[in-house]
Amino acid sequence: MTYAIETSHLCKNYGPVCAVRDVNLRVKPGEIYGFLGLNGAGKTTTIRALLGMIRPSAGNVKVLGQALGTGGRGPWAQVGHLVETPSAYPELTVRENLDLARRLHGIPNPRSVDEVIGQLRIASYADRRAGTLSSGNFQRLGLARALLHKPALLILDEPANELDPAGIVEIRELLVSLVRENGVTIFMSSHLLTEVDKLADRIGIIHKGQLIEELDAIRLEEIRARQLVIETRDLVRARAALADFEAASLGGNRLGLKDRRAVETPELIATLLVNAGSPPIHLVLEQENLEDYFLRLTK
Amino acid sequence: MNTFTSALWVETLKMRRSKVPLLSAIGFSAVPLMVGLFMIILKDPEAARSMGLISAKAQLLVGVADWPTFFNVLAQAVAVGGAILFSVVTLWVFGREFSDHTAKELLALPTSREAIVAAKFVVIAGWTLAMTCLVYAISLIVGTLIVIPGGSAELLRSSFVDVLGSAALAIALMPFVALLASAGRGYLPPFGWTIFAIVLSQIAVITGWGDWFPWSVAALFSGAAGPRGGLLGPHSYVLVLITSLIGLAATFYWWRNADHTR
Repeated sequence: MTYAIETSHLCKNYGPVCAVRDVNLRVKPGEIYGFLGLNGAGKTTTIRALLGMIRPSAGNVKVLGQALGTGGRGPWAQVGHLVETPSAYPELTVRENLDLARRLHGIPNPRSVDEVIGQLRIASYADRRAGTLSSGNFQRLGLARALLHKPALLILDEPANELDPAGIVEIRELLVSLVRENGVTIFMSSHLLTEVDKLADRIGIIHKGQLIEELDAIRLEEIRARQLVIETRDLVRARAALADFEAASLGGNRLGLKDRRAVETPELIATLLVNAGSPPIHLVLEQENLEDYFLRLTK
Repeated sequence: MNTFTSALWVETLKMRRSKVPLLSAIGFSAVPLMVGLFMIILKDPEAARSMGLISAKAQLLVGVADWPTFFNVLAQAVAVGGAILFSVVTLWVFGREFSDHTAKELLALPTSREAIVAAKFVVIAGWTLAMTCLVYAISLIVGTLIVIPGGSAELLRSSFVDVLGSAALAIALMPFVALLASAGRGYLPPFGWTIFAIVLSQIAVITGWGDWFPWSVAALFSGAAGPRGGLLGPHSYVLVLITSLIGLAATFYWWRNADHTR
């Protein structure tokens, strides 16, 4: 299988500092891959390595089946990117900035600029100088440049940065439609974990330069699953009373039940515990989200 | 459209739309006006003496008010002033990509980095040579307006060679400025180098090693220390060429191989 992105044993050192260590990524075509990590975890270093902006200290990188060569050689006609904060030439208008990108991408048709201006809804700013744009519209300009050449792969570093809530929803819908309708592959990092949770098919978590976990759809579903959390004074009796429910110990006198019957009828569980002589002193329905999971993992 | 043509179009657009090249042209255009002012002072010794030390110095340095002197001072001003103004243009063309954080947009593209760097150098060479021709044209107008003697077709030809040659020798050393703007990721390192190189070139000339120091060659070519025939040899031009090629190669190498972390 040809992966959209494939790294094997990717390492990047800056002097004695190891920014990225032994990262093995496999991103399938048509997939949205969320890439999470704390500040300084190695997200941007990895993204720059994927774009040939930095040379790996060890390991190698393949993008759309093509190994990245020296001098940044790669399949860039098919790759759109947004790295860290977007940038543009402030004295040029939005349209000129995009036209400049069009030329550098070797796109002969100037109408592609108008198309992407419409797609990102920046037509009312198209003839304004980029230096006068708000940060949100500057971000849209960055995204427009990434989408201008209709890439097969999008590598986006914090794509929803600086966008207002309506803009975040709009960009999310745009990205989803690109995947569903055009089969685009998206590799994105973000601090907005709820956004990643809503978008991503798979998630990789990088911590201190290492890819510490990859979550596929099943694992993500498990994380998102609700559980009934019970606290009782007599854990032995409570366990015996709930023997049919696969209660998991959560530490202390707490038990967690993910069984659908328990989650949907907590009053049944309360009754069972009371009847067993171990009434609950605390009973709550909890749902761990990606944010909780991520924070727990990277603590 | 091939990638170099695209890159050249892009660099030309950026140059056209910025104020920096225009301001540098206006600044450089002040050179013939200053030289013209010197000539006006030299034309009238009485008035010059009444101005005190300035006129005395002017008399000592540039001699009489005529076309040969006018062009000689112009060539010197182009050599020294050009070293600064051409550096400003070069450090802006390369350094702005880092100060505006746009360098990262030039890296993962179907247009090669080599084409982009080559286009930048072509735009720099074109703009600085155009500025030199503009300055020469303005100097002809200024010289005509202040009415000085000694003009001839032969002088016109040789002075054009002097001015353009001085400029070309200064421009040839711009790749080092480009390299420092790239590797230093901004304006300060190349500007610092420009000032340092001017100081070093003065020291090299004073100590008699100017013909061996590439950054002194443009000034010596202009006649700043006397007729160039006795001061420069073929080795001087070869050294400028080698320095230029090393600067070019190093700049291309840097863009191609360095870690682009900004």
